[in-house]
Amino acid sequence: MKSPAWPGSLAARTALVLLAGLAVVQAVGLVIHALDHADLQRNVQMHDVAQQAMGTYRSLAVLSPADRLPAITELPRTASHSAAIEPQPPEDALPPASVALQRELAGEMLMVPVPTSLRPRDTVVLGRPGADLLVIGLRFPDGPWLHQRFELPPLRPWNSPSFLISFLLMTAAAAIMTVWAVRRLTLPVAVLAAAADRLGRDVNAPALPETGPSEVVTAAAAFNTMALRIRRFVHDRTLMLTAIGHDLRTPITRMRLRSEFIDDEALRARMLNDLDELEAMVSATLAFGRDAAAAEAASRIDVAELLRTILDETADARPACAERLSMAGPEHFAVTARPLSLKRALTNLIANAVTYGQAAHVRLGAPPQGAEGVDVSITIDDDGPGIAADQMERMFQPFQRMEESRSRDTGGVGLGLPIARNILRAHGGDVVLENRASGGLRARVTLPV
Amino acid sequence: MSDAASTAASPAPDASLLVIDDDGEIRDLLARFFEREGFRVTTAKDAREGRRLWSQGDFNLVVLDLMLPGESGTDFARWLRGQSPVPIVMLTAMGDESDRIAGLELGADDYLAKPFNPRELLARVRAVLRRSGEHGPAHATSVIQFADWTIDTLRRRLLGADGVEVPLTGGEFELLSILVERANRVLTRDMLLELLRGRQAGPYDRAIDVAVSRLRRKLEDEGRNAQIIKTVRGGGYVLAAEVKRR
Repeated sequence: MKSPAWPGSLAARTALVLLAGLAVVQAVGLVIHALDHADLQRNVQMHDVAQQAMGTYRSLAVLSPADRLPAITELPRTASHSAAIEPQPPEDALPPASVALQRELAGEMLMVPVPTSLRPRDTVVLGRPGADLLVIGLRFPDGPWLHQRFELPPLRPWNSPSFLISFLLMTAAAAIMTVWAVRRLTLPVAVLAAAADRLGRDVNAPALPETGPSEVVTAAAAFNTMALRIRRFVHDRTLMLTAIGHDLRTPITRMRLRSEFIDDEALRARMLNDLDELEAMVSATLAFGRDAAAAEAASRIDVAELLRTILDETADARPACAERLSMAGPEHFAVTARPLSLKRALTNLIANAVTYGQAAHVRLGAPPQGAEGVDVSITIDDDGPGIAADQMERMFQPFQRMEESRSRDTGGVGLGLPIARNILRAHGGDVVLENRASGGLRARVTLPV
Repeated sequence: MSDAASTAASPAPDASLLVIDDDGEIRDLLARFFEREGFRVTTAKDAREGRRLWSQGDFNLVVLDLMLPGESGTDFARWLRGQSPVPIVMLTAMGDESDRIAGLELGADDYLAKPFNPRELLARVRAVLRRSGEHGPAHATSVIQFADWTIDTLRRRLLGADGVEVPLTGGEFELLSILVERANRVLTRDMLLELLRGRQAGPYDRAIDVAVSRLRRKLEDEGRNAQIIKTVRGGGYVLAAEVKRR
């Protein structure tokens, strides 16, 4: 199960969880702050409303009923407050205000000092639930009602825009630090993965530095120990193979010489054939063992001409195939490589194409001169039946061969592809196999310039 | 080598070989094999015995296994070079580049990797004897320059003016070496065939022209007016260039 919102990398996942937590905490904090602030603001508003309502009432109540009407017109009129004297209590379309609000306002109005004889006979408070419009009716002791209308400004939970900005800045800073810290924490995992990848390509890859937090040091040390054991194992196995190969040379040499004294031509030819096969196996085994050591010095070599030379040699050795060998690409292209190793790798691939695919169509794709970091690509296509996709990688295991070819006399030890891949990977390149859409197998080589 | 109508001098039928190899059976088989081909053969099992026999006999060529118990074959070759310009053909561990180059730098004249083909060894021995008869005991110089090109005979490499190696097949290298060694001398196809056969076992009859055209392509010497390897009317080739040896 993998949803697109859930990222793949450990760093991103950890950062996402932490950032989500941070966002929740910040949001809750903001809400608490806003509610608190709104509450405070409302209290202040109610206080002001009560003060103004009672103030106005008091200033009118002390006057005689006849003087009140002119006085009311002299009151400062504002958009948010208006006053009028009516014989009836206010019966606007507004419902009565909530009990809590009435009680609160009544309490606030009591705070305003008014002589006992002038206190309102009756009080009516109407208001919408949101309390943005209040109508307060106060009845003078002599009968009529003073209606006052208050339009309250909406509550502003935020003091100021600068508060929000600083809050956002704080959140952003925390988020950036979270991402940075998570990256740092998960970096050793990436380093470990890269080291494991290198080890897979090159057994002699340099050891991991054992520094950093104790968990990282422990992991690096364990990894290095594992790499050492693998190296020793590979080395021992290579040594054994090479030793067997070396030891076989003497008996093969003797048999070659002895076959020179066989008078039966046919028998001698068959024996020499067997010996050739045996020698090819020994030489492949030795090549496989030697490539682990890779003692050859690198130099500049024309890879286009190298491919043509290999094709020429193939054509010389198997004239029947000469028609089905081709080469496309630039006339010349120089790369830095170990010449004999590189030739062996490419020869193996071309020989495989000709042996199992009856053809070798080589295409050299060279990057433009001077292009940095772009690899040379070489494809070698054949006209054979191809290989089942699940068998492709198995072909690069030493001593692995297609089942059919074990019984056929196409021979081989099953070292051609492993040797080619070892060599190319030691050069910083690689080789993979793929089936062509038009049929046949393609070996795709990459090689750094 | 049935066609004795060769232009180069044939080896003396009674050329005397000293064979040094630590494997008893290989020694005996080599002795029988070379004696059947008309050589006189003396065998030694290690460098010490080789040294003793060398001082007692008169040999035209030494076949030397580089992997010897005790004193190594390279040490023996160095000692031998100090004594005499006698041609040396080395037998090396298969494909072991460093051994081979070390041996050739010591002045060995040719090498074969074990397990070798006996007929190829015979061909090499004959070629080396013929060459030493042709222009004295001078062993091959390792770096030869001609036109804009450089041949490194030890490492069997052709380098362009920019130092980039241009790969050659074994046959192309042999052909180019022969042409360069005999620069500015016309070589007929038959001469080239004979010289090549001395070094390279394999079907070469019709391949000279093919190899020359490939060489010209690699030397960027194509076209009707090839400048480096010129075609001589009547069927032959000449490498026309000033050759410098280092």
